Amino acid sequence: MPPKAAKGEYIETDTGNKISRRSQIHGTQHIILGGKTVIQAEAVIRGDLYRLPSTAASTDPSNPPQQSNAPSVAITVGRYSYISKSAVLRPPSRLHRGVHSFYPLKIGDHVFVGESAVIEAASLGNHVHVGAGATVGSMAIIKDFAMVLDGAVVPPGMVVPSWSVVGGRPARIVGEVGEGYGVEGAEGGMARERYRVVGRP
Amino acid sequence: MSRPFPYTYISCPCVDTPVPDPSKKRRSRETPQKSTPERDAETKEDQDKTNLPNEEAEEEEEEQTFDPRSPRSNFSLYPPEQLLYCEDCHEIKCPRCITEEIVSWYCPNCLFETPSSMVRSDGGRCGRNCFNCPVCTAPLAVSTIENVTGNGSGQGPWVLSCGYCLWTTLDIGIKFDKPTNIRSQLQKMTDSTTTPTFDGRSRQGSRAFGDLKSPLSNFASIDEQSNSGERDGEQPASKETPIPTPHLGAEARFAALKSFYRTQISETSNSPSDPLSSEFGFSSPGALNRLMSLYASSSRLSGLYGGNKKPKSKPPVMREALTASEGLRIASEDTDSGLIQRIASSDCGWDGVASLGQRIEQSPDVRFVDELLPLPVLLRTKRAKRCKSCKHILVKPETKPQSTRFRIRLIALSYIPLPTLRPLAQPSTSSITGSAPAPDLNALSPLRPYHVLLTLKNHMFDPVRITLATPSVTPGVVATKVTVLCPQFEIGANSDVWDEALQNATAPLSDRIIGMRGGEKVPEAGKVWEKGRNWTTVVLEVVPGTLPGTQAEGGQAIDSDIVASFQKDEDVLEIPVFVHMEWDAEAQLEQQNVGKASKPDDLVARELAYWMVLGVGRIQASL
Repeated sequence: MPPKAAKGEYIETDTGNKISRRSQIHGTQHIILGGKTVIQAEAVIRGDLYRLPSTAASTDPSNPPQQSNAPSVAITVGRYSYISKSAVLRPPSRLHRGVHSFYPLKIGDHVFVGESAVIEAASLGNHVHVGAGATVGSMAIIKDFAMVLDGAVVPPGMVVPSWSVVGGRPARIVGEVGEGYGVEGAEGGMARERYRVVGRP
Repeated sequence: MSRPFPYTYISCPCVDTPVPDPSKKRRSRETPQKSTPERDAETKEDQDKTNLPNEEAEEEEEEQTFDPRSPRSNFSLYPPEQLLYCEDCHEIKCPRCITEEIVSWYCPNCLFETPSSMVRSDGGRCGRNCFNCPVCTAPLAVSTIENVTGNGSGQGPWVLSCGYCLWTTLDIGIKFDKPTNIRSQLQKMTDSTTTPTFDGRSRQGSRAFGDLKSPLSNFASIDEQSNSGERDGEQPASKETPIPTPHLGAEARFAALKSFYRTQISETSNSPSDPLSSEFGFSSPGALNRLMSLYASSSRLSGLYGGNKKPKSKPPVMREALTASEGLRIASEDTDSGLIQRIASSDCGWDGVASLGQRIEQSPDVRFVDELLPLPVLLRTKRAKRCKSCKHILVKPETKPQSTRFRIRLIALSYIPLPTLRPLAQPSTSSITGSAPAPDLNALSPLRPYHVLLTLKNHMFDPVRITLATPSVTPGVVATKVTVLCPQFEIGANSDVWDEALQNATAPLSDRIIGMRGGEKVPEAGKVWEKGRNWTTVVLEVVPGTLPGTQAEGGQAIDSDIVASFQKDEDVLEIPVFVHMEWDAEAQLEQQNVGKASKPDDLVARELAYWMVLGVGRIQASL
């Protein structure tokens, strides 16, 4: 393979997403990026783990498979979100009535996912900050303006309410962020600045 | 130090003002009622005396510079987004200078609001299906055991299971009949017996519904509880306990004891006219009255030689709980030895004994892991915040737990300029390549000049004039030289939102151009580095000092005192910066008269001054 020295590290899409050439994105047709999203090198995004429409049909034989042509979405990412180096985004899964199936992972706007964090949440709200090395368990829900500290392990199914800070293993609510959290340019509101800096020569 | 470099903290001005003493306030509130002239004079003198040293201290402090390392500043340094601003006091307010009041209670797990009337009866915990694991505190999920086949919904039995440590209620032998209302199901099981080996289906709670709630619920339902208390009081008298309950659960026993003592208090009360004594516990004013009268009468009885003894009836004596239904539990003789044997036995071991952290949330009798009960999730609150000095509301969130909006939110960031810090790439090291690497802030080499860009962004709709001041040498063991190259500058107003939107569209391009130029640009004294619509960047020149260890390498004599006093994080380079801001604000109603005289167009000159701390980086030991 010839070296691609001339090109920059990041591919910029029409909607302004900056995606590292060294990221690993699987199942791209099942991933929606809201625009101006940054995906750094070695990040793994598992769009191939989408919910199979056939599983619903097989458990329910009376219903004919109707949504087979519409591609199911595995991962949605909002605007100005930032997926750091070697972070893993994986849709959550659950054993429901004996069938193991995947559910969509929704990530809001202005979300920061730290280095080598593993996200298996059902949803991350807007302005959520996930620290480096943190793990967010399957089907967890992190509401807007919440903060997951570095190295925290959010257990599966946990709900983190807005404005709260969680940390520890297993994660507990350890504090609250200030009222000014998420103001443009301050803590929690650095997303535009972060985006702007990425891929600059 | 908890944040990665570079960071900025702002010091709340309250650090200089003494903490208001609540006792003083109370005294001053009392004085108008009993206003004796001597006393007033005394208090005035007192105040004068206390004020004098304060003023002196303030004058001294004005001369002094702010030391981010002093123990006091620990309490005043906050990240900018934590601070509020009071529009009436025109001051920054930190969490120390506000009071909070609860707007609503909600469960952090199901995010349902709990009405404040229910909070007490539920014991401050979620009354629905939300439980925390007693072993590891992770939330528990309701799941079923027997529906692997998946042919129908609602096939019980149900258990609570932890997704983190894989604990389930099966470990303590609890199953639930239905997946809803688990808390009352659990309470029924645990209240009827203390033995952990129960089956949810066979054992039905025999206690009255008052026991389904927490003992605190008695406060909420006074009438009903006092009635039941009377009934309980009659039961031992007739010696006919209709429900033979040999072992009450911990909460039921507490409730029984509580109702028993309440009836005792009401029966033996001296003052039946006082309605409080019968309805509240010992801590009530009625109970206090009763105690006081007890002491008063006894002292009169003892003072026989005083001669003024009145014929007074002896106060009736309270008795203690005598039967199990009243809450009495007699410990059996071999309880302790049984416990010890169980702890020592091989099937229990270290893992079988509950840890202190686990026991602290449980009933005091719990010693082993298999006795731990799932914990209903503690409720959380949404709180409004008020200024402590003028009582104006600074923050008022919306009541709904899911909402992230605020009705009122006066954060400091809307008033004071937001400081951000960024190291300037060093041009001297690699001028040929053009793009110099940014210095590693975790290892600043001593005695080498660094340039740091300080950006102040104005969120007000008026332009602001800023004056920065910093001590030329930072306080602490490591003396770092700091120079603000442009200490006086102006920041533009935060104009219309639409302007901002339009500017943001073009921002990346213009920024890039500036960034290109940044490589060639040389910081000059007295000149602003960069200026935007509502922000201005200035350059700080920083020459990190040497750590005591490196001085030794340089061949200088080691000052052993300094080395000894060198503590952890002494190598962190923190620069105190004094910010003075001035702006012309539109006059508010009460200031209009003053404003007219001095300035046209109803403008009032305002100023605000505070210290902030810039955390630049960590100085490395070697040169």
